Amino acid sequence: MIRHGVQRLLLALPVLFGVLLIGFLLMQVVPTDPATVRAGPQATAEVVAAIRTELGLDEPVWKQFFLYVWRLAQGDLGVSIINNVPVSQELGNTIGPTLELMFAALVWSIPLGIALGTVAAYLRGSFVDRVVMAISVAGVSVPVFFLGLLLIWLVGFQWQLLPFTGRGGPLWTMDGLLAIILPAITLGGVFVGPVARMTRSAVVDALQAEHVRTARAKGLGEGAVVRRHALRNALIPVVTLIGLQIGFLLGGAVVTETIFSWPGVGRLAVGAILSADFPMAQGTIIVLSAGFIIINLVVDLLYGALDPRVRG
Amino acid sequence: MLRRATLAALAAIGITGAAHAQTPARNQIVVMREIDSDRYDPHRSTALAGGEVMTMLADTLVAMAPDMRTIRPLLAERWEVSPDGLVYTFHLRRDVTFCDGKAFTARDMAFSLNRWIGRTTPRVTSPVAWRAGDVKEITAVDDHTLRYELNRPFSELLSQLTLFFASAIDPATVERLGDNFGVQGFNGTGPFCWGSWTPRQEMVLNRHQAYRWGPDFYTNRGPAQVERVTWRVIPEAASRVAALQAGQADITQYIPPAFVEALSRVPTVTRHTQPNYFWDVFMGFKVDKPVVNDIAIRRAVHMAVDRPALVRAVWAGTAEPARNIVNPNAADFDAESDRMVPGFDRAAAIRTLEEAGWRPGPDGVRVKDGQRATFMTYAINTLDNQRMGEIIQQALRQVGIEMRIQLFDATVAWGRLATQEFDAFFLSYPYVSATDALNLYWHSRNRPTPNRMNWADPQTDAWLEAGRSALDPAERARNAALIQRQLAEQAPWLTVARTSLTLFSSNRVQGVRAHGLYGAGLYKVLDVRTVR
Amino acid sequence: MAAPVKPSVLRMLGRDLGGALSLGMVVLIVLAAILAPWLSPRDPYETDLLAIMQPPSAEYWLGTDGQGRDILARMLFGLRVTLLMGLASLLAGGVLGALIGFCAAFYRRADGLLMRFMDILLSFPAILFGLALAAIFGPGEVSVVIALSIATVPLMARIVRGSALVVMGLDYIEAARAIGMSDGRLIWRHLAPNCLSAIFVFSTLRLGQVILLGSALSFLGLGAQPPLAELGAMAAQGRNFLFIAPHISVIPSLGIFVIVLAFNLLGDALRDALDPRLRI
Repeated sequence: MIRHGVQRLLLALPVLFGVLLIGFLLMQVVPTDPATVRAGPQATAEVVAAIRTELGLDEPVWKQFFLYVWRLAQGDLGVSIINNVPVSQELGNTIGPTLELMFAALVWSIPLGIALGTVAAYLRGSFVDRVVMAISVAGVSVPVFFLGLLLIWLVGFQWQLLPFTGRGGPLWTMDGLLAIILPAITLGGVFVGPVARMTRSAVVDALQAEHVRTARAKGLGEGAVVRRHALRNALIPVVTLIGLQIGFLLGGAVVTETIFSWPGVGRLAVGAILSADFPMAQGTIIVLSAGFIIINLVVDLLYGALDPRVRG
Repeated sequence: MLRRATLAALAAIGITGAAHAQTPARNQIVVMREIDSDRYDPHRSTALAGGEVMTMLADTLVAMAPDMRTIRPLLAERWEVSPDGLVYTFHLRRDVTFCDGKAFTARDMAFSLNRWIGRTTPRVTSPVAWRAGDVKEITAVDDHTLRYELNRPFSELLSQLTLFFASAIDPATVERLGDNFGVQGFNGTGPFCWGSWTPRQEMVLNRHQAYRWGPDFYTNRGPAQVERVTWRVIPEAASRVAALQAGQADITQYIPPAFVEALSRVPTVTRHTQPNYFWDVFMGFKVDKPVVNDIAIRRAVHMAVDRPALVRAVWAGTAEPARNIVNPNAADFDAESDRMVPGFDRAAAIRTLEEAGWRPGPDGVRVKDGQRATFMTYAINTLDNQRMGEIIQQALRQVGIEMRIQLFDATVAWGRLATQEFDAFFLSYPYVSATDALNLYWHSRNRPTPNRMNWADPQTDAWLEAGRSALDPAERARNAALIQRQLAEQAPWLTVARTSLTLFSSNRVQGVRAHGLYGAGLYKVLDVRTVR
Repeated sequence: MAAPVKPSVLRMLGRDLGGALSLGMVVLIVLAAILAPWLSPRDPYETDLLAIMQPPSAEYWLGTDGQGRDILARMLFGLRVTLLMGLASLLAGGVLGALIGFCAAFYRRADGLLMRFMDILLSFPAILFGLALAAIFGPGEVSVVIALSIATVPLMARIVRGSALVVMGLDYIEAARAIGMSDGRLIWRHLAPNCLSAIFVFSTLRLGQVILLGSALSFLGLGAQPPLAELGAMAAQGRNFLFIAPHISVIPSLGIFVIVLAFNLLGDALRDALDPRLRI
């Protein structure tokens, strides 16, 4: 168990270094000159030169890298080229809404996906199974923005049922709750399919496993067999697979945030890239990557804790 | 049955919820916009996103009336100009205070103006310092008298001083906040005071309680009727439309043309327009780059593009097709030039190209001396530019000219537009008068930006100088006309559209009037009040 | 366990209704993309300023967009761009990934290092590659293709390594080695053919995912740029008119959905037919 954990941690280190390096390289190879960007439309050459010095863009590359890692270690991700606001501050503001959105998406889609998958597995080959599988393959094929646009157009605009213009406030307020419904349906909607699919195949495997057959032989009711034995064993691979799908969720979140003006990290990242705000783009990419690595690590460790076979 | 009940319940929550959702409180208004400014320092940012808020946070010596010609008193109650046009003496009001309660003096005004032109330490470099004229010295004679001395007469000075760049700010706050002035706080004499700012999300302004010195074209001279103005950034056009309809926000000038007609029919929304609005969309050519250095190509572009149809398609009745480089309503407009600009005539475009030696090539693109008639256009990535670009591209293809387009996000675009990588570009810009517009773009000194055309003509420079320092308005107009005719002839710039200012407000607010100075639709909002 | 026999695959697909349907759809989609210049009723870039934002009609079967361009024509040409972007990413990433996978299976000493490196790559979701590449090279089709290729490499490497390892355990590889067959020949002659079915199934499924991701990046403005007809970019531009003319964005979005669905269904059917144990 401990060895497994240490192993995973050691593996995460080069990954983190890779993130840092990519983040730094990003700043080095960009074709646009941040000083010109900062200087604005009607600036003269002297203004641009002054800004170059101000931003420290004239230092040698290696020095810039060390400065960058050193500052990063202190939680300093630099300052936005566009509006001079510390990147860490912007990230601090946006990370909450992103987590909130992901949580709201997962809180309904995972239980639904697991339920659908279990039912499909149990009624394998039946009409219900085929419907569930059709939903799930549609779910993995539908572009997130298609779902989002349809919801905005119909629910938001035509029927005027729910807001779709950003975050309404904290989740415990009425405004906050209403505002998150459509984004959560959009993001969760593309997640139900994969979860149902994974659950189904895991439960199918588990149903065929020896101890389940034993339990059946002992005369246990079918419901109990599914609940106590099959589903429980199936949940372990499902947890791991859901962990792996976090990347998929992240991609969906970036699009969902953009469509719904949700003030999260994904929208911040896209905006920063489009506006060539490199410190901001770098910061968002580092944080998204690091978050993703941490989630994977946690899932890995959980897996180790859940499944005795991994402990060795 | 159960399902129907659930649906009904959901609908009930939704409808009441949507009605409740984010409706602003009484005496507070929410103004929506598309983008935020990088900072709110009148001397360091030039963007409209900064200017539209700046006009509320700060005041200028003089104000521009809604006719866009008349200069009215604001911080200066009166002024005198010396006969040689070199010395302006402004007599300031005595009752003006900053948001923090401190009295406003001529020294504060002198500091602000000197900061604008880079004569304070630490030095601030305003990209538009040239708008202040060729300044010899700006000094406070006493607490309420300001002396503005020029090296050369500047016929445009007063109208330039109405722009937000010439705003009065508090020197002590500037010193205290240093580089964070306009980021963490602000202190001005405007009808509203800095509340809080969450970049790219919202900016909250609170009423300046002591404000009494609003310009006389407002019924209410101050304090403002609304207690709080929230500037909210909503990047998606559709979301702004929906929010206005749902009453989640009160005012916006950022409604895409395609929505204007539909939104005008919504009973809960009122449309306001300002005919004296000078913000043109144009395509400029770098006159020293291959292909577009040929006057025949440039004139052919003018003749190939059906501007009335294009403007109708892209701006759906919210803009007018343009010919001459300046708006007919602007001071010093020349009617003769308007007739000289080539209009849409596809046959004439083809004839012009043929006569100039541009013959059809194998791929449909014309060729002359081994040079294909192709050029690269840069522009900011906006919906209008996308649509306009695609339409012009297609129109040019029909006469055998290939136009390539590269669009950049707004913040990147300015950097790219400062280079020499491209041959043509789309931009739009606000101006105060013909002389203002011509001075901005056509002086050889203003290369490479904003004179991205690389236009360097001694004759143009001479006319510009003469117009700038003319003491007689007729003399100024004569010089402006000469330049307009020259440009109509040489065709270095295709004026596409004259946009109009269309402001929408929900019927929760009254007293809205579209102003539009340098693009800012609301100006001081002194008359605006909420009825619910 | 020799090279997969094509006729039997087709026959097996034919027996499965979903498989047959999805195969038909994929064939139609590919044909439409190839024949776009002949099928298209109009030039996809031709603007008709008198007919902007028209709903579907007899003249314009799928209506016109904001610049009065024929959406049907743009869909056909957009299909080409979208498919080409997907294929390019799949090919570039797949070839590199397969090579790495073979090497890892064949040269056991390199295995640990190679697969650790693949694990590192796998630690990043594809969207992050998309964001990073767009940040570095600027938004555009090339950035998207590079990003999706990189994201495909570790997946392909894993699949290939897994299939190859099974073969490596078989006696005849040892025998072939014993008679002095060169490494390259061995991989090409024995390893590769036995992994083909896995590669084939994976590629079909991956193509769907890559198209989905690519169109999402284009939708965000990080991929194909207007006026290029690309389905994601078309949906993004149409989104501006969602409340006035929803068909401009809904039709391209629906198009992407159908394409991805077809590839996913076909991939599933292929897997069931070829290699039911494959976990992809």
